[in-house]
Amino acid sequence: MIIEIGHYALVLALATALILSVLPVIGARRGDAAMMALAPTGSLVLFALVAFSFGVLTWAYVVSDFSVANVWENSHSLMPLIYKYSGVWGNHEGSMLLWLLILVFFSALVATFGRNLPDTLRANVLAVQAWISTAFLFFILLTSNPFLRLDPAPAEGQDLNPVLQDLGLAVHPPLLYLGYVGFSVCFSFAVAALIEGRIDAAWARWVRPWTLAAWTFLTAGIAMGSYWAYYELGWGGWWFWDPVENASFMPWLAGTALLHSALVMEKREALKIWTVLLAIMTFSLSLLGTFLVRSGVLTSVHSFATDPTRGIFILCILGIFIGGAFALFAWRAPMLKAGGIFAPISREGALVLNNLILTVATATVLTGTLYPLILETLTGEKISVGAPFFNMTFGLLMLPLLVAVPFGPVLAWKRGDLLGALQRLYVFAGLALAAGLAFFYIQNGGPVLAIFGLVLGFWGMIGAFADLWYRANFAKVGLSVGLKRLAGLPRSVFGTAIAHFGLGVTVLGIFAATTFGTETVVEMKQGASVDIGGYSLTYDGLRDAVGPNYTEQRGHFAVSRGGVQVADVWSSKRLYTARRMPTTEAGILTFGLSQLYVSLGDAMESGGMVVRIWWKPFILCIWGGALVMMVGGFVSLSDRRLRVGAPSRKAKPVKARLEAAE
Amino acid sequence: MQYWATMVLWIILAALTAAVAAILILPFARATKAASVDRAGEVAVYRDQLAELDRDRAQGLINAEEAEYARAEIGRRLLAAAGAGAGEGRETAAPKARKHALATTAVTMVPPVIGLCLYLALGNPGLPDQPLEARLANPGNNVALLVAKAERHLAENPNDGAGWDLLAPIYFRSMRLGDAELAYRNAIRILGPNPLRLAGLGETLVASNDGIVTEDARAAFEQAVKLDPDNPRSRFYVGLGFEQAGRAAEARAQFEAIAKGSPPDAPWMQLVNQHIAKNGGTITPGRDTAQAPGNPSQADVAAAENLSQGDRQAMIRGMVDSLAERLKQEPNNLEGWVRLVRSYAVLGDKPKAQEALKSGLKQFPSSGELVALANEMGLAVEGVAQ
Amino acid sequence: MTRKQKRLAVIAGGMSFILVAVLLVMFAFSQSVAYFFMPADLAKADVKPGTRIRLGGLVAEGSVKRSQGSTVSFTVTDGTGSVPVTYTGILPDLFREGQGVVTEGAFDAASHGFVADSVLAKHDENYMPKEVADRLKAQGVWNEGQGNQGQGSGTKGTATR
Repeated sequence: MIIEIGHYALVLALATALILSVLPVIGARRGDAAMMALAPTGSLVLFALVAFSFGVLTWAYVVSDFSVANVWENSHSLMPLIYKYSGVWGNHEGSMLLWLLILVFFSALVATFGRNLPDTLRANVLAVQAWISTAFLFFILLTSNPFLRLDPAPAEGQDLNPVLQDLGLAVHPPLLYLGYVGFSVCFSFAVAALIEGRIDAAWARWVRPWTLAAWTFLTAGIAMGSYWAYYELGWGGWWFWDPVENASFMPWLAGTALLHSALVMEKREALKIWTVLLAIMTFSLSLLGTFLVRSGVLTSVHSFATDPTRGIFILCILGIFIGGAFALFAWRAPMLKAGGIFAPISREGALVLNNLILTVATATVLTGTLYPLILETLTGEKISVGAPFFNMTFGLLMLPLLVAVPFGPVLAWKRGDLLGALQRLYVFAGLALAAGLAFFYIQNGGPVLAIFGLVLGFWGMIGAFADLWYRANFAKVGLSVGLKRLAGLPRSVFGTAIAHFGLGVTVLGIFAATTFGTETVVEMKQGASVDIGGYSLTYDGLRDAVGPNYTEQRGHFAVSRGGVQVADVWSSKRLYTARRMPTTEAGILTFGLSQLYVSLGDAMESGGMVVRIWWKPFILCIWGGALVMMVGGFVSLSDRRLRVGAPSRKAKPVKARLEAAE
Repeated sequence: MQYWATMVLWIILAALTAAVAAILILPFARATKAASVDRAGEVAVYRDQLAELDRDRAQGLINAEEAEYARAEIGRRLLAAAGAGAGEGRETAAPKARKHALATTAVTMVPPVIGLCLYLALGNPGLPDQPLEARLANPGNNVALLVAKAERHLAENPNDGAGWDLLAPIYFRSMRLGDAELAYRNAIRILGPNPLRLAGLGETLVASNDGIVTEDARAAFEQAVKLDPDNPRSRFYVGLGFEQAGRAAEARAQFEAIAKGSPPDAPWMQLVNQHIAKNGGTITPGRDTAQAPGNPSQADVAAAENLSQGDRQAMIRGMVDSLAERLKQEPNNLEGWVRLVRSYAVLGDKPKAQEALKSGLKQFPSSGELVALANEMGLAVEGVAQ
Repeated sequence: MTRKQKRLAVIAGGMSFILVAVLLVMFAFSQSVAYFFMPADLAKADVKPGTRIRLGGLVAEGSVKRSQGSTVSFTVTDGTGSVPVTYTGILPDLFREGQGVVTEGAFDAASHGFVADSVLAKHDENYMPKEVADRLKAQGVWNEGQGNQGQGSGTKGTATR
């Protein structure tokens, strides 16, 4: 019965979303307070309904109710509890429901915390959010309904895809969706601004925390996904430029650009139209990512053949939202007042450069991802665009940005002084150069590019704190006054520094891991040893083991350094019994920031095993940097200035109520 | 019971709908307050910018001239925002009495109408929840549930040999051969080999290899024979293994030993005699004198293979038909469907294979395994999908 | 510089950056894009040794041989033609005889064999890489591939060297 109530709640959510899509917009046009007031109330109702529905589905998974087709297809009663929870979104239907849940959650947040927004803006924003909700509700209910039932119910489920039975992947989609969907709020703000035909600095300030939150979660989600691919797929890489990854990376790039352009708009009233366009583009890329990946269009055209309704639905949603938003933009954008002007060498100039590079880089990734699809549709010719393409284009285009990052924060607004900035930064540049060279010397070996990359990494890391250093002015005022000044700085300044530092760490990790890493593929018999990265691995044979829903053969390796055994590594080949699906579980050993990565291959007739071993120095910097960026995002988010406007409204409601009482 | 549950469900759904409509109607019921075009937020942003400017100035990040410029610029915007806010605020301050007849109708009508229409089309109001725990607690005589219950018990106590022993033949009969093999092996590992278990394991292996007695299977049967020399079943398979390997003399010896040890009216005697004839007949000296005795000719081997092929087919046929029957009753068995399709295809019965594929795909529309199999067997999936 | 000049300088700078990017993309496409072939196409097309291509088809039954070390050789076939392939490294978990496979690499000038540096065995749960399935479908070897609604994320089994 509960399951049916959950199903009905979802249907009711559609009805609510439909009402919310129409009435508040009319209210905002007519200046009708009651109709506008419907928006926040309705958004909360919508959230409650979808959350209940999602809760019911989760409950069905936890108690293994196989009368629900979705549970039967993706769960198994013996699966560990955590995967019963994550199984909810480990499949198409459930993940769409999660997407929707996060969407309405953000709407509810806007409804709750947006009390300081002008009424019309809030009504319009929430209505646009409701449009998106409506589209998703239709999509879920009509083509991907997770509440379809089976009668009679089977006794046992078909198990969750083994590759998804992993802690990393259990938390990965929610984080990613928090990012994707977070940008929906920016999109709704942009569309609402276009509907109203008015946009100002306050708008940018309202949009900024949402962008920041979405960006922070997306950063975490991408890093998590990358680390998951690294350890779960068992082939040692951490980024493959595959469509699935690109789909999440493009919104991140555009979102990063949006983050910076919103700053310019808030501070200087410039780049208004551009910011709105960027907000629309970012969410469009999120939608594209969600759908193209989920529908499998990019990896497989089959899904269209399987379920034409779903494919057509997806195309319609994409067409309506992306096309509609751009059409609205073309129609209304000229009405927005253009902002101020500025010199090329200034903080704004640096941020424009940031936007230029990021957007162009996004465009190259988009081209590389969609080109094979377009070419195939047009000519039937099949090509593959792989890592070399992206490394050549994206990699090269990003280099100037990495060089420019430390300059941005030290340049003054409106008109900056490049010479002054250079003077301020040369110490830091020198430090970075020295650190990079020292690092290179210690690790000795590697091509010249490595030096450049390492210097770039350290440049980003050290340069990030140049702004703090000069703001505190330690050199002139001494340590104690400097610290006091530092404490007085707004949190967002620290956020910026931390995030830029994180970027440097990631860059460093990427260059160190790719240039100093070594790998070897060998056939090993029991007792054989291999030397790699200063460690020696001795193969100690295979053992059989049984997990809750799989059987495995574990290969044991003893790791020693200088003749002393320091650790053990197990690498295994698993067979998930329910789906008869083999997977490879890599053995990973962490030494500081570096890792030893062991992956089992096939058994040889001679009794040996093919083993592939990587030494990955400083690889953890890649994800560590992302983590630091995330921390920067949160620090920035905690800046009270982002909540500005709230205090001024404190007094107002009282007054309004008094008026109403009179 | 069921009827009442459904009634309660409908009452809850109605209450839910009413609650949602009531909450949504609330804003209309409240006293209508005029919308204020509020620019306070904007003003606050500019104030904050001025404060930041002062801070930057104090820290010497910008010089006095620049600070003045910036202050003037922000000040202009601040004035504009404050002025506009006041002006517009006054403009719409007069509350207009509005009628919301249409809006309130929409709010009250849309939830029940859409809710009812869509839910009736999509939902299954009569179907109760079926959490597995509760079903296992009261399985009735649903074999699948009983098996699931036993599986759970074994997952917790994997060393309960008796459990595996009990489950193995059930798996075998429901054609879950992979599980049957695992169960037999576990039972043998824990309880030690006995003729029954070994023979069961052997038969499972034979069945999962489409009737061929593999090395593994023959080893199991041979061990069973060693433990219980009089067991005709194991001996028969050992003989069949020899026969399939083309070792006719050894095969005949086995079959003859069975015949000797069995009462003449035993039900398996006919089959055994057939095999004796098959293997014995082919080595009669004189039929092919060109060959050295004991070395069967190419033709003989081929003939033997043909014969045993026919025999094997008959055996598979029987198994396949019973599997088809079982799947009709318990269709939630992917492995069973895969096996059925494969078996029909191997037997050369294309229409039946196609039919089985269709039923299997109906049950498991997203099974890549079935599709891959169809591809391998050259069966059309077209039209079957959906 | 006047205001107008400044603005022009900014626009010119931006444009030239975009131009550089476009040229870079075009150059990269000409350099690093691998075309997809099936064994039958290779008879018609003239693929020079050393040119990177993707070769797809089914792994021929009984063709997988492991020689010394971790080098594996197998034959990729599409019913009409077949190409011998060698690969050094670990094969993906779902690499099987009779199943679809896509390999990337180049022909060796000396041995005329295909030397793969990456092998992809699975892109979705159909055990059939998309390109291969499409082509086999076109040739009638594989009938309307249906099956899974792309669990696109994650289920990829690839081995790269």
